[in-house]
Amino acid sequence: MRLLDLRNGVVAIIAAGLLVSGCGASGGTSAASPAEASVPPASAPTAATPEASAPEAVSADLTFQFWIGGDADKAAWETVTAVAMADHPGLKITVQGTPWPDYWSKIGNQLSNAGAPCIVGMQSLRLAAYADQLVPMDELMTKYGVNAADFDKSIFDSMKHDGKLVALPYDFGPLIVYYNRDAFKKASIAEPKPGWTLDDFTKAATKLTSGGKFGFTTASIDQEYLSWVLDLSGAEVLDAAGKLAVSSPAFVDGYKKYVDLMRSGIASPVTVAGYDGYVNMLGEWQSGTAAMYVDGPWMVISNRDAVKFDMGMAPMPAGAGGSKHYTAGSGFGISKQCPTPDAAFQAIVSMTGDKALTGLASVGRAYPARPADAEAWYGAAKIEGARETLDYATSHSVPWLTPPNWVQMADLFDRTGLQALTGELKPEEVLQTVQDQGGL
Amino acid sequence: MAIDTTAPPPKLSPAPRVSKRLRDDRRHALIFLGPSLIGLAVFTLFPTVMALVMSLFDWPVFGNRTFIGLDNYARLLGSPVFRQVVLNTCLFVVLYVPLNLIVSLGLAAWVSPKIKGRSAFRILFFIPVMAPIVANAVVWRFIYQPGGLLDSLSQSVLGSPAPSFLASSATAMLAIVAMSVWQGFGYNFLVFSTAIDQVPQEQLEAAAIDGASGLERFRHVTLPMITPSIFFATTLTLITSFQVFAQPFLLTKGGPGNATATLVLFVYNEGWRFLHMGLAAAAGWVLFVIIMAITAIQFRGQKRWVHYD
Repeated sequence: MRLLDLRNGVVAIIAAGLLVSGCGASGGTSAASPAEASVPPASAPTAATPEASAPEAVSADLTFQFWIGGDADKAAWETVTAVAMADHPGLKITVQGTPWPDYWSKIGNQLSNAGAPCIVGMQSLRLAAYADQLVPMDELMTKYGVNAADFDKSIFDSMKHDGKLVALPYDFGPLIVYYNRDAFKKASIAEPKPGWTLDDFTKAATKLTSGGKFGFTTASIDQEYLSWVLDLSGAEVLDAAGKLAVSSPAFVDGYKKYVDLMRSGIASPVTVAGYDGYVNMLGEWQSGTAAMYVDGPWMVISNRDAVKFDMGMAPMPAGAGGSKHYTAGSGFGISKQCPTPDAAFQAIVSMTGDKALTGLASVGRAYPARPADAEAWYGAAKIEGARETLDYATSHSVPWLTPPNWVQMADLFDRTGLQALTGELKPEEVLQTVQDQGGL
Repeated sequence: MAIDTTAPPPKLSPAPRVSKRLRDDRRHALIFLGPSLIGLAVFTLFPTVMALVMSLFDWPVFGNRTFIGLDNYARLLGSPVFRQVVLNTCLFVVLYVPLNLIVSLGLAAWVSPKIKGRSAFRILFFIPVMAPIVANAVVWRFIYQPGGLLDSLSQSVLGSPAPSFLASSATAMLAIVAMSVWQGFGYNFLVFSTAIDQVPQEQLEAAAIDGASGLERFRHVTLPMITPSIFFATTLTLITSFQVFAQPFLLTKGGPGNATATLVLFVYNEGWRFLHMGLAAAAGWVLFVIIMAITAIQFRGQKRWVHYD
């Protein structure tokens, strides 16, 4: 009896995995067979806007898998798919959601099994690991007359892998500094403006740190330390040849400066790595415990609604090499298992089109990847300085390129980075560990 | 006296009847056992064998699978990360199992007499076992984190802040063990409590008449009589402690560094997050072999100290 229990226990994970895989395989994808799908001819007219290219006869049942945190999120995405279904009455799109922390495991399993969803949510940082399972879109772009120039170039390029476009972006943004304007006013500190320097940042954070409050809060997560390293030394994760370069002298220099800055007393102590650390960081800023933190513009509206103080936003302070910011964002790809890639592409074109993005922007969901739709987003955001900040940061942005095993690298970096932030390890030891252990 | 060899042999009519009954019994047994056997084959035997097969392949979630023999095992054994993961798991087991048994047995002994509120204590001690571990982890994080319960107590009593328990490699595993003991002792507590209740009062009274103190009665009468329960609890607790996953997953994600990374967390990460199914399957088999070996040793050793009479 006990031996049976033992064996049951040991293989539980494998069994659960197989079950999960099985569930993934039957995850509700209901794409129509190729015979059922009706795609427009290759000579479909080129149009200035995607909506104008909407074919009449497209017909398919599609499943759209995305990271979704709750009912409100799902409802927002259903308004986006509703746009695609209105553009193409023959399309039926079912929205499926998984919370962010579990999304990448789920989508990995789904893409590796029969019956993966047709339309797949992709984040630029994690795209490389899944790119081989996605349909290259370059020919589809030409076929349906979608103009690459309509999208912000930095995020559009971030959606490429080996030179091929594998997802169409819907949102993007350079990482920016969110700050508590009330705290700045109370401490009689001039508010940050585009072009402010690291020295300005340090002085402000130092002055804002008193009475149990901190000038800044950080977390041991990729968007934090990589943004600061880029800012402080100009070094990036990959070298020119696309190889991991976190132990390069420039990267080590930037990372040491970041750790020193965070351990100088201006930032609240970091207590946990990874996504939980991000939640802590966000909570500290939103509760007013810390006056500044770094995040993407996709957080503008939820931050504005969550805080009880006047919120401001500014570009990252200019480091020694001037202002240079990362751009990250998300989009939609087509699973190679999708029997109706043309139909899926047309749905994606609608989902990343003006109508869908202005709809999302109007409820403050995403900073649109199409610059032409930004006006609606600014109108919804109603944040003083938002336009100035984002225009400046975007114009100083570079695509955030990562290696294919970034999920693994980021996890290792997050956990060992915590040891640098708590002083257990020297920054250079952390980086050497990441460089050596990356990929086991 | 002559023997009539021409007499017909005795009839063997009862034999076919027995055989038919046996056949019927077998058929019925098969019907009753069938669902369990199918479940065992599909959900236990097949995954076990499949995992062994996978462990011999470079089995990425995407792309081609290549037979590589024992390379995954060699890779694991040569990896300092995996060695640390095994050591972390052993450290957890070494700390958790004795603590769990001591706390559960101690409390079971404490509530064994007819003390006031005994039923309430039994329910109280079992609540952590029933509570969702995610909720427990959230509560314990509030206890451990700076500004949390322990930190506040330390500041008000000692005048200095408590360490950041989950952020330090020196304390993170201890913090996980403490939470695990709190979460898990209730089950063994009930096992021991029930076993102690079944110890015959006459024997305890006889020992008392002979002048044995309470401690001596517990040591020389109660403990020997509950050794089957202790063996059961020890075996089960050892197995589950080698499989520890939820606590480090929820509290530390295996950090800081790899300080709280355990074997099952390693299997989960490699398989489902990093998409290296072959390596994950090999690590699963390493865990399987470790647990099998230790359980076998336990079963062999039990003859010396477990009393079934």
